[in-house]
Amino acid sequence: MKKILQITLGIVTSVGGFLEIGSVLTAAQAGAAFGYQLLWAILIGTLCLIFLVEMSGRLAAVSKHTIVDAMRERFGFPFFFIVLVGMVLVAFLVLIAEIGGIGLSLQLLTGIGFPWWAIPVSLLVWFLMWKGTFGFIENGASLLGLITISFVVGAIKLHPDWSSAATGLLPTMPHDQKARYGFIAVSILGASISPYLMYFYSSGAIEDEWDESYIGVNRAIAVLGMSFGGLLSMAVLIAAALALHPHGIQVDKFEQAALPMTSAFPKWGLGLFAVSMLVACFGAAVEISLAIAYFFAQGFGWNWSQNLEPSKNARFSLVYTIIILSSAVPLVFGVDPVKVTMISMALTAATLPIAIVPFLFLMNDPIYMGKHRNGWVSNSVVAIIILISFLLAVISIPLEIIGG
Amino acid sequence: MDLVRDVLDRKIVDRENCDMGRVDGLVMHLGAHTTQPRITHIRIGGTTPWMRLHPALARLAGRLARMWGPRRAEPVTIPWSRVVTAGRDIRLDVKARDTGAIDWEIWIARHIVERIPGGGQKEAEQ
Repeated sequence: MKKILQITLGIVTSVGGFLEIGSVLTAAQAGAAFGYQLLWAILIGTLCLIFLVEMSGRLAAVSKHTIVDAMRERFGFPFFFIVLVGMVLVAFLVLIAEIGGIGLSLQLLTGIGFPWWAIPVSLLVWFLMWKGTFGFIENGASLLGLITISFVVGAIKLHPDWSSAATGLLPTMPHDQKARYGFIAVSILGASISPYLMYFYSSGAIEDEWDESYIGVNRAIAVLGMSFGGLLSMAVLIAAALALHPHGIQVDKFEQAALPMTSAFPKWGLGLFAVSMLVACFGAAVEISLAIAYFFAQGFGWNWSQNLEPSKNARFSLVYTIIILSSAVPLVFGVDPVKVTMISMALTAATLPIAIVPFLFLMNDPIYMGKHRNGWVSNSVVAIIILISFLLAVISIPLEIIGG
Repeated sequence: MDLVRDVLDRKIVDRENCDMGRVDGLVMHLGAHTTQPRITHIRIGGTTPWMRLHPALARLAGRLARMWGPRRAEPVTIPWSRVVTAGRDIRLDVKARDTGAIDWEIWIARHIVERIPGGGQKEAEQ
């Protein structure tokens, strides 16, 4: 009974925590620019994430190590440090995007510009982490995050042509705007395959003291939770394809991403979109800040637990405090969160190999995984998708920069 | 025991399960020609991990560490005889705060975290 409850809670958490500014903006841009044609990117991104999340939980349950613990031990300090620098820089950019996303949602609701919200919002995120426990934060943010299911209702209300949507699940090349197509595909992959989610998930499994009996629970959470989450992203893309693509509207601004929802719900679509994004970005901001603090604390062997009061793990608490408060600084100066989102999602995709390749080595190491190490299917699926993401990133990012 | 695989970079805990850092370095005694080399100490923190990246980084880390906080740049060196078990963690028969390994943790708790409302009191229960 306890396990069924945990599976339910885990799935709810994954669904509620899946959408954030990156997945919504990239999906909306894809739908607006290319109709259903980029649905495949969400499909393979979600598939890869299912495998990676399952592996993160399995590593924690079997070896009692978080990913960072195991990486530091297995590959040593110099390698760990390189991954730390890469991951923290990218995750910090994503955090700026999320805090900016909360600000932009509040801007939609109140009319007060997002730079004014940056400091109050970052203080509120920090305060929740300072006072809240792991379960409170994770479950609270995710339960509220279920409001993002409204995106699915919105997409259905716009009456999509399901058979032509299904053709988008197979990769095809567009006739023109190939560089833009590649860049959005990369951004979608970066938004779906978020390494911070793995660090957060494996740390949560250790906080909840998982053992080998949780392997089944973990698999159910990863498959069902991430699949439903992926469906939410697809709903955003489909709604944008129906509401924006026929009119040639591109999504360069946050408000434009709300248009599909206002088409589906003329009266309260804008409010619904803003509240959904507010909650989704808030949950993501907390997860990313915690993931960065976990990375430092686990890598250097400090005390860490979101369930202890801050003075019992002072360095851990100081790291997330600094990270959250400094993420507000560029926003105060008016840096556009939408641009930061697109850049950070593409960079996430470009840096995936340094996060994922060592992780795959760990998942195949009998010292850590014993008889529960990866099979060839999971190795191949993850390796191929990471390779595709990396190649697309190194080709399309320079093209996007040159093309403006 | 494979020193690099089973000891280096492992997490260290004291006799009260307090995290003390990681094994950043090992000190080996070579002795005379006829004796076997043996591990005499483990090293935690300070400039030791940075030295593994580059000596210049170690110098920089040392200089920065001496500027503020507990002004401690030297690694903590603990005799191998204090190692109780070397499994998932390296368990030591010491008290973390007596070794200096958590000087930074204590300094940050006392000077920063405890001064912020809701930060709690680290010293109260110790």
